[in-house]
Amino acid sequence: MSTTRKKVYGYLAEFKSASALYKAAEKVRDAGFTKWDCYSPYPIHGLDAAMGLKRSILPYMVFFGGMTGTITAFLLAYTTQVVIYPTVVQGKPTNFFTLPAFFPIMFELTILFSGFTTLFGLLALMKLPRFNHPLFASKQFERSTDDGFFIALEARDPKFSATGTKDFLGEIGGSSIELIEEEPA
Amino acid sequence: MAHHVTSHDIPANGEHLDASRIGKVKTIALAVMVLGGLLSAYLLFFAPKSQQGSFAYSWVFALFYFFTLALGGCFWTLLHNVSNSGWGTSVRRVMENLGSVFPWLSIFAIPLLCPNVQYYLYEWMNMHRKVGGDIPTMTLITEWLAGSWNWVLNGFRYLTTGETVPMASTMADRLHHADHLMFNKHWFMNLPFWYFRTVMFFVALGYAIYRLRKLSTVQDTDPNPGTVHLFKARRRAAAFLPILALTVTFAAFDWLKGMDYTWFSTMYGVYIFAGCAINSMAVIIITVYLLRRSGYLKHVVSQEHFHIMGKLLFAFTVFWAYVTFSQFFLIWYANITEETKYFLIRNTEGWNIASIALVIMHFVLPFVVLLQQWLKKKPHLLSAVAIYMLLVHILDIYLIVIPERGISLGNIDHATFGDIAVTIKGAWLGDVLAFVTIGAGFVFFFLRALGQHALYPHRDPRILESANLSN
Repeated sequence: MSTTRKKVYGYLAEFKSASALYKAAEKVRDAGFTKWDCYSPYPIHGLDAAMGLKRSILPYMVFFGGMTGTITAFLLAYTTQVVIYPTVVQGKPTNFFTLPAFFPIMFELTILFSGFTTLFGLLALMKLPRFNHPLFASKQFERSTDDGFFIALEARDPKFSATGTKDFLGEIGGSSIELIEEEPA
Repeated sequence: MAHHVTSHDIPANGEHLDASRIGKVKTIALAVMVLGGLLSAYLLFFAPKSQQGSFAYSWVFALFYFFTLALGGCFWTLLHNVSNSGWGTSVRRVMENLGSVFPWLSIFAIPLLCPNVQYYLYEWMNMHRKVGGDIPTMTLITEWLAGSWNWVLNGFRYLTTGETVPMASTMADRLHHADHLMFNKHWFMNLPFWYFRTVMFFVALGYAIYRLRKLSTVQDTDPNPGTVHLFKARRRAAAFLPILALTVTFAAFDWLKGMDYTWFSTMYGVYIFAGCAINSMAVIIITVYLLRRSGYLKHVVSQEHFHIMGKLLFAFTVFWAYVTFSQFFLIWYANITEETKYFLIRNTEGWNIASIALVIMHFVLPFVVLLQQWLKKKPHLLSAVAIYMLLVHILDIYLIVIPERGISLGNIDHATFGDIAVTIKGAWLGDVLAFVTIGAGFVFFFLRALGQHALYPHRDPRILESANLSN
């Protein structure tokens, strides 16, 4: 028998339907929890508001990522075609007013950098990729990709308590409440 | 999440615009339209030649501005139906009403059919009239029909035997000696075909929008509403959409690009269409906002609708920039004389400042402003941006039409207008007059359409879906 003490991840509770999950999420939000999440097989309209989620900072990251792309492209085109190797084509000037010729490059790099920032920013914000998640230890949690609606309240939340949180999940309509432990490292 | 809208929230007879609230505006608009129309008729037909010539351009500018708005109304109606959209059912009636102004604009297009107005606008027509002046119109039409038929036959002949037979046409022969470019474009740019197209724009698309609006309003009183009208509208819209595409493209070609028959750009129709889509959406946003502020549409339109309309406004602002730049870029890069003239004219003296201002005001500023999500969800702020877009659209159409004035008039009638000039002094007064006149007409017919039926299709099967929109 192992004597290793496992770290508690949190409580997992199942809810009957999407609307039960929605209403429970509002109650969890109003109770002041911050470290928790809803799990459902499909997106539920308005759930982000019910959970009290703030807007992601991703759009700002993408904006500045895109701007970096624009500036990079301009500097790239300007340095190579005006400063290092002035290219006179069709009587076009080799100075700042060659700008329209750079636009396609600036456009493409803006899109490319925005795309990269979106993808990698999203992965970073979601702390992905990762090899495992404590919730995967739960057998019933497999149904979250099929027909199960779950809420998990995490132990690192300041409002979390061993008995109080379990009762709270029961009060707001959760069933099959399960204590989830983290795998030993 | 807001309260869920159910059929109890929707009045059984729909919401109707209170006639007394718009009566005053309608009367003023009608009066301005009639007075301005009389003054414009004087300037177009009876004033001294110098005023006639410069006012003809003012008229095309103002006509095309409001033409794009109504055309865009037809576009959004058709698109909504053909794409089987659910989100916009609550604002669909506003789109239909905007589109229904389109056939009425034919009143303001009448001057374009008059030879003495065409004389100042379209050099190619003068050339046709000069070389073919003594040929009867019927002969021109039969010649054109025979020529078209011959063209098809030649196609088959070429495919089967590899040979073609030269076409016989007196008009073409004469043009051949007068101007080779005109001769090459003769199959498209000839008077009978031009008149046919101009009339067909209003007849064909006018019929399309009339039928679609009818299908929508019949639903309001049909004892068995069901889905039959909705499905019918979707099928019809699919058939009508090509008419819209042809109308936008060829109206732009015939009325605007035709002012200089030597210039060509295949991007032109798309460029004009982009302007239609943005600015009619701006009109729809402002109308829906004003209606909501007056207490209508409260249950069926939420900030979600404004968010979607804001996104469409944003999308087409980007599309406009993409298309406009594509047109400019290819011409600028290739640097071919017969193509660059369009931009050379618009980059001369003051027009250059206006052209650069257009890039910043029509794209850069609205792009940055509309990029923000919170702003699109605030109806009053979004409406302010919509008004701004409509103002910049004036600059856009002005830059398309007016720089041509000083040059064409000097070329067409040197005796009256003197040498070609960048601008004509005092001509802007005519621009304002034409704009106010046609604008008043636009407002009148739009308000009239809004007052005719319920403000939203309250018995449409998808109205609740639209009212509870979330995006």
